[in-house]
Amino acid sequence: MSSIIIDTSASRKVRELLRFLLESGKIDAAVTMRKIPEDSSYDLALITDASNLDEAVPIVPVMTVNAGQVLSSISTSGKKIAVVLKPCELRAFVELVKREQGSFENLLTISHTCGGVFPLDLVAAGKIEELLPKYEKIISKGEVPANTRDTCRACEHFIPMNADITVAVAGDCESGKGCVMYLNTDKAEEYAEGFSGERGELKFDPSALKKMLDARLLEKEKLFASITEDGPGLDRLLDTFGKCIGCHGCNSVCPICYCLLCDFESANFDYNLPYFEEHLSRRAALRLPPDTIFFHLGRLTHMSFSCVGCGMCSDVCPVGIPVAAVFRKTGEKTAALFDYVPGRDVEESIPVMVYKEEEFSDIG
Amino acid sequence: MKKEFTPRITSFLCKWCSYTGADLAGTARLQYPTSIIPIQVMCSSRVDPVFLIKAFLNGSDGVLIGGCHPGDCHYETGNYHARRRFAIVKSVFDSLGLESKRLKLSWISASEGPKFARVANEYTEEIMKLGENPTRKSIFL
Amino acid sequence: MKLPMKDNKKNSVLVLGAGIAGIQASLDLAEMGVEVHLVEETPTIGGRMPQLDKTFPTNDCSMCILAPKMSECVRHPLITLHIMSGLKNISGTPGNFICSVIERAKYVDPVKCVACGLCEEKCPVKIEDEFDVGLRKTKAISRYFLQSIPSEYTINKNHCLYLTKGVCKLCEKVCPTGAINYDDQDKEIELNVGAVILATGIDPFDPIGFGQFGYHRYSNVVTSLEFERMLSASGPFGGHVEKASDGKPPKRLAFIQCVGSRDEGINRNYCSSACCMFAIKQSIIAKEHSKELEATIFYMDIRAFGKDFDKYYDKAENQYGVQFKRSKISEIKELSDGSLDLKYTYENGDIQHETFDMVILSIGLQPRLGSRELSKNLDIRLNRFGFCRTDTFHPLKTTREGVFVCGAMNSPKDIPESVISASGAVANAVKYLELERYDPSTGSEEIKEKDVTGERPRVGVFVCHCGINIAGVVDVKNVAEFAKGLENVEHSEDVMYACSTDCLETIKQRIEEHDLNRVVVAACTPRTHEPLFRDTISEAGLNPYLFEMANIRDQCSWAHMNEPEMATEKSKDLVEMGVGKARGLVPLARLPIDIDPEALVIGGGLSGMTAALAIADAGHDVYLIEREDVLGGNMRDIFFNFNDSDPQEFLAETIEKVENHDRIRVLMNSIIEEIAGFVGNFRTVLKNSAGEREELTHGAVIVATGGNEHETAEYLYGESSRIVTQKEFERMLHEGKFPPGKLKEVVMVQCVGSREEGRMYCSRICCSKAVKNALELRKRKARVNIYFAYRDVRTYGFAEEYYSELRDRGALFFRYTLENKPLVSKIRPDDPDSRIRVTVFDPVLEKDVVIDADLLVLATAIDAPEENLKLAKMLKVPLNSDGLFLEAHVKLRPVDFATDGIFVCGLAHGPKDMSESLAQAKAAGSRALTFLKKKSILAEGTIAEVRTDRCTGCGYCEEVCAYTAIEVDPEEGVAVVNDALCKGCGACVASCRCGALDLRGFTNGQLFSVFDSLELEASEGI
Repeated sequence: MSSIIIDTSASRKVRELLRFLLESGKIDAAVTMRKIPEDSSYDLALITDASNLDEAVPIVPVMTVNAGQVLSSISTSGKKIAVVLKPCELRAFVELVKREQGSFENLLTISHTCGGVFPLDLVAAGKIEELLPKYEKIISKGEVPANTRDTCRACEHFIPMNADITVAVAGDCESGKGCVMYLNTDKAEEYAEGFSGERGELKFDPSALKKMLDARLLEKEKLFASITEDGPGLDRLLDTFGKCIGCHGCNSVCPICYCLLCDFESANFDYNLPYFEEHLSRRAALRLPPDTIFFHLGRLTHMSFSCVGCGMCSDVCPVGIPVAAVFRKTGEKTAALFDYVPGRDVEESIPVMVYKEEEFSDIG
Repeated sequence: MKKEFTPRITSFLCKWCSYTGADLAGTARLQYPTSIIPIQVMCSSRVDPVFLIKAFLNGSDGVLIGGCHPGDCHYETGNYHARRRFAIVKSVFDSLGLESKRLKLSWISASEGPKFARVANEYTEEIMKLGENPTRKSIFL
Repeated sequence: MKLPMKDNKKNSVLVLGAGIAGIQASLDLAEMGVEVHLVEETPTIGGRMPQLDKTFPTNDCSMCILAPKMSECVRHPLITLHIMSGLKNISGTPGNFICSVIERAKYVDPVKCVACGLCEEKCPVKIEDEFDVGLRKTKAISRYFLQSIPSEYTINKNHCLYLTKGVCKLCEKVCPTGAINYDDQDKEIELNVGAVILATGIDPFDPIGFGQFGYHRYSNVVTSLEFERMLSASGPFGGHVEKASDGKPPKRLAFIQCVGSRDEGINRNYCSSACCMFAIKQSIIAKEHSKELEATIFYMDIRAFGKDFDKYYDKAENQYGVQFKRSKISEIKELSDGSLDLKYTYENGDIQHETFDMVILSIGLQPRLGSRELSKNLDIRLNRFGFCRTDTFHPLKTTREGVFVCGAMNSPKDIPESVISASGAVANAVKYLELERYDPSTGSEEIKEKDVTGERPRVGVFVCHCGINIAGVVDVKNVAEFAKGLENVEHSEDVMYACSTDCLETIKQRIEEHDLNRVVVAACTPRTHEPLFRDTISEAGLNPYLFEMANIRDQCSWAHMNEPEMATEKSKDLVEMGVGKARGLVPLARLPIDIDPEALVIGGGLSGMTAALAIADAGHDVYLIEREDVLGGNMRDIFFNFNDSDPQEFLAETIEKVENHDRIRVLMNSIIEEIAGFVGNFRTVLKNSAGEREELTHGAVIVATGGNEHETAEYLYGESSRIVTQKEFERMLHEGKFPPGKLKEVVMVQCVGSREEGRMYCSRICCSKAVKNALELRKRKARVNIYFAYRDVRTYGFAEEYYSELRDRGALFFRYTLENKPLVSKIRPDDPDSRIRVTVFDPVLEKDVVIDADLLVLATAIDAPEENLKLAKMLKVPLNSDGLFLEAHVKLRPVDFATDGIFVCGLAHGPKDMSESLAQAKAAGSRALTFLKKKSILAEGTIAEVRTDRCTGCGYCEEVCAYTAIEVDPEEGVAVVNDALCKGCGACVASCRCGALDLRGFTNGQLFSVFDSLELEASEGI
C-alpha cells in the first residue's frame, strides 16, 4: 500500500482528494464537515457537486452529529460516496453495519488521527477559529488539547481502525516530514489513482503517538474515577441521573441508538392512571415524568458495550449529566467481559447475538 | 410505622425446568420462604434485561431468574443467551455501584425440587442480610 | 371442530372400563378420529387412580395428573360415555361386531342434575363408601367421589328406601331441578363397532380370612389401599393418619409385603409387580406427614424394577430412614393398647419380636370379581390365575379376534405400563377400522367466540380450596374477598375444586352472568390445569387465551405449610399479579399446521419394526432406519421363552412382514445426519454406508434405538472361556456348544453392573432371563447344579412361577450385598479354559460357600447406547441421568416426548422384555397416529410477532433464534416470524432493542404489569 505526502494542510489535501474524486466521477457524493458560509459555525454536508466543496473543511475538531449515524441512512443508496470520518464515527458506523444499518460496499472511508473535538457550546459561541491554531499545534506535538470533550480527552482509540485512507495529523507531523495520507486498502489505491501528490511506501507508525496515548489513558483513568462505584450505589445513581429531565436528547444523538422509535419512548412505557395509583399507594410520591433512571439503566444494558465514546450525548444534555462518561465506563467494563471492542472489526459479533457454551461458570 | 422486613424476590422461572422444579418442590412439600414470587416465562431467554431493572427499581429486594441447566434448554440455546444478558446487567450494576447481589441467575431443572427449595432458602437469607431494597423508599425512581 | 363421519362401525370402537387404561385408549382413538363408546361399570370414569394419593417414583399427586385426562375424555366430542353400564355380549365378526350394552338405571336424570348435593344431605340411608374402601359412610344417593366425572348423582337401588321398601322419597322432595326418577329402568342398547378393547382392570386382594395377619380382627391392621385413602388429603381423614383403636396418630408403621402375592397356596403364585413400590411410596409419604414416624417394610425381595425405581428405593432407605427387613412374618398379636406384636424370622433363622402401632398389608392385585363370567359372555379365555389370557408375542390380544386387552386385566401392572398397553391396544384395534385422515382445523366452530376487543377488562377470579391442599394453609375466602377489591375485577369467589366438572360449569355461568372477558383461576399449577380452564372459558365463548392462573398450591400452600398468614399474603400477591396480567391479555388465534402422513422409525429392532408395522398397517408410509445391515436388534440373541413359543420364529415372521410391507421402506446401513423441522413437518438427512445422502420428509418420529449389553470388567469376564454373559449363555444353550469337559456346576451372578454406582438402576429383565436360561439348562442337562447369586430376585408378574419352579428343581440361591459381592478366581490362572472358583457368602448359613464352577454366567446390565446423546440433541429431546430417553411424563405420557410428534419405545426408553417392548412399540405407533391421522393440527397461540413499523431489521432476533423461526426479509428489511416453527420461547423478543418484537400471551406489557402488581411497600413510611 502506498502513502501520499501532504504538502499543504491536511484538511486542504483531503478536500482536494474529494474534489478529484467527484470531478473524475469516481464518487457520486462526498460527506464532509463544512464551514457554514457567512457564519462561524460548522455542519456536516453531503455534497454531489465539486463546486460546493469550497467551504468543506474535512478535518476539523467539530462534531455536530456523529457521521456514522448519518451514514446509516445514506450508505445503502447505491451511490458511491467518499466520507471523511473521525475515528469514533467510523467505529460507530462499524457497529451499525453489524446491525444491518448500513454498508461499506459503496463507501470510501477517509479518517484521521484525532485530537478530539470541541464541545458544541464552543462551536455555537463561534470560538472554533480562534481556538484552532493552538489546537493544531498541541496535537501536532502529540499532546492532548485541554478544552475538548472530556470523552475525547479520555479516548485511546484516536487512530482510525479500518479506514480506507488514514490521514495522520497528530503526533507524527512533529518529525518535520509533513503529514501523510496512508492508503490502507485496495479500494483506496483504486480511488486515489491519478490523484496528485508525492507517493511513498511509508507505513503508519502508531508508536509515534505513544505520548498522546499515555496522556489520554491518564485522562481516562481520571474520568472513570469521577464516576465512582464506591458508596451507596443508588444514591450515587441519583446524584448522577437525578437531574435528568427525560428529554431523551442523549439517545437521539447517539449513533448506536438506531431504533426507529426508542422502546422507552414507546407506548410500552406509557403509564396509565392505575399505574400511577399503584405506585403512589406505595411511595406516596412519584417523580414526573417517571422512569428517567430506568431509561438510563435500560439504555446502558441495551448498548453501552457498543459505546464508541463520541461524547455527543453529554454534549447535548441540557442539565449537564455526564452521560458519555458513564456509558463509556460501563460499556468498557461490559465489553471487556466478551473481549469486545466496539467498532474494531465489522466481522466481530455483537456480544448479545452469540454465546459460548463454556463461559461465566460463576453464574447459575 | 415499622413493619417486619419481608423480602420480595421477583422470580422469573422458565416453564420447562425451573417452574416445574418449583412445582416439584411444592409437591414434595419442601418448605421455603414466601419471599419467592414466581412468574412463569416460557424460557429464561424471555427475560429482557430491562425486566430485571424494572423489578429492581420497583422495589424487589431480589430478582431471580431460573433456567434449565446449560445444555438442557428446552429451546436449545435460550439459557446461554439469558446468561450473557444477565452478565451484562450485572456488569452495569457493578459499574454503577448498584447491589448486583440483588440479581441472581440459577439453573434449576425440572427434577430439582430440592435445589429450588435450597436456592429459595439461601437466596432469601442473602437478601435478608442485604436488607430491604432502598429503591422501595426512593421517590425519585 | 369438524369431525369425521359418525355412526359407522368401520369407524368406531367399544372400550370396556374407564380406568386410566380405558381413558387413554379412548383418547387415542378419538384423536385418530374414531368414534368411541366408553363403557364403565361405576358411576364415574377414573378407575383406581383417583383412590391413590400419590404416584411413585415422582410423588406426583395422582388426582392432579389424572383430572385433566378425565376432563379431556368426558369433553371429547367423539367419546360417548356409558356409565353404570356393562357389556353383555359381543356378536358378529371382527370389524363388524354388535355389542349388547346394559345401561343400568341411575334414577337421577343426568341432564337435570346439577350436583348440588342436597339429596345426599337429606338421604337417611348411610352406607359404606366404596371409593373410600369403607372408611367413611356415604348415602344411598350420592356422587361416587368428590371429583367424579361425570359429576351427576346416582341412586344405589339396593339401599334406597323407596326402591327397596317403597317409602321415603326425600331426595325427590329436595331436588331443586326435579332430576329424581324412581321409574328409571335398565336399558339394553346395541352398538355396532369395528373392534373392542377390554380394560376392566384389577381388584385388590381381600385379606379377610387370611388369618395370620389379623385383618378385620385387629383394628390397627389395614390394607395398603385403606392406608392410601388415609394418607390422601381428600380422603376420609383429610390426610391425617390415625389409629382406629384410639384415633391417635401412629408412631411406628409396619408394612408387610406380598399379602396375596407370590403365594402358591392360594393360587396366587405371581408377583403383583406394583406393591413394593407402593409400600415404599407410602412409607415416604407417611414420613413426610410426620417426621417422628418410623416405618419398617418386611419383605422377601424388593422389586424396584422400573425406570428410576431403585433410586426411589434408595431415597426411602437412606434419606427417609425407612427400615427394610428381609424376613417372614410368622404371627401378629394384638396387645391390650391396640398395638401389634410382630413375630418375624430372618433368613438365618433368627426370630424377632417388635411392636408396631399400625400394620399395613401390602395387598396384591387380582383379577376383577366377575371376570370369569365376563370371559364366558365375551368368549375370551383366561389364564390359570384368572387374568385375561395373552401370549408373549401378542401381549394385547385376547383369544378372540378383534377383541383386545389393556391395563392390568391381563397381568398386574402399574400406571405407565397400563397407559402403554392402552395405546398399544389401540394400534391393534385400528387395523379393523377404515380410517380417513381428517382436518380438525376446518369446519364451523360450534361455539361462536365473543369479540372482546375494545371492551374494558372484566376479570373473574376463582380461588380454589383444592380440598385442604390449599385451604388447609391459605385463607382462601380471604384471598377471594381481596380479589374483589382489585382493579377490573368484576367477580370473585372461592371454590372447592376448581377443576371439578361442576365448578367448570360454575365458571361458565359466571362468565355469562357477569359478562366476564378475562378469567383468573388461583389453584394449582398451570402446567397441568391451564388447558382444562382454557377449554372451559372457550366453551363459554371466550378466547382461551383470555385466561391466567395463579399457582397458589404447588408454589405457595404446599411450600409454606407452616406459615399460613404469609402464604395467604403471597396468594394475594399471586392473584393480584394474575389479575395484572389478565387485564392486558388479548385473544389469540391458533393457526393450522399441515401434517405429513409419513413416519420415520429409528431403529430396526423388535420395537422399531413393531412400531413401523403399527403405522404402516394403518395406511401410512414408514421409513424404517437401521444402522446395521440386518433387522432384529437384540432379539437376534433371544432363543427361548418361558412358554414354548419360539422367539426366532416370531422374529423371522416380523422381519418378513416388514420387508414385504408395501408401506414400509427399510433403509439399512443408514445413519441420521440431521433432523430438522417440527411436528408434521420433519426433514431428515440420512447417510448410508456408501456415503450417499438422502432427504426424507415425514410427520412423526419414533425413537427405537434399543440398548446394549453392558461390557463388564468384573468377575474376570473376558479372562476365561468359562465366564460368559447371559446373552452368550443363551446362544450356548441354543447351539448346544458348552465349554469342554463336564458341565456340572453352574453359577449365575445377577446385577453385574446394575444397581450400583454408575448405573443406579435395575436392568429389569435379567432375573427372569437368568431363571429362563437356568430352566432351559435343566431341561438339557438334568443333573447340573445351579447356584444363583442375587441381590433381590425380581421375577415380577407371571415370571414368579418359573422362579418357584427353579427353586423347586433344587437350584440354590444365595443373596449377596454390594459390600459382599461374590469373589471369583481362576483355579489355574494361566489357563484360558480354567474352571472358576466362586466364593459367595450364604446369609442363611452365615458362612462363605465355595463353588468350583464349570461355568459362570453373568447377568450384565443393559446400557443406554452412547449415540443416544447425539440423537437427543438432534431431536431436541432430553435424556435422563442414565442416558435413557426421558419421556414427557413418567406416569401418563410414557411414550411421548414433550416435543410433539416424537415418540419413544423399547430399550431406548428403559430396560424391558419382549412383551413390554412390543406393547410400547405399538403404543408409540398409536401415539404417532394421533397426529398422522390429522391433515393438520393447530399451532400454539403463544408465538412471537413483529411490529413492522418499529423493526429496523437489525437481525438480533435472527441470530438468537434456535429454530430459524424468525428471519429478516431482505426485501422489506424487517423481521418475519414463521408461525409454524416458532416455539414461543421469547429469546428473540428479549433480544430486540427496539421493542419491535413481542411474545403473544407473554407480552412485555403483560409481564410488566405482572411485576408492577407486586406490593412492594417500604417497611418504613417515607
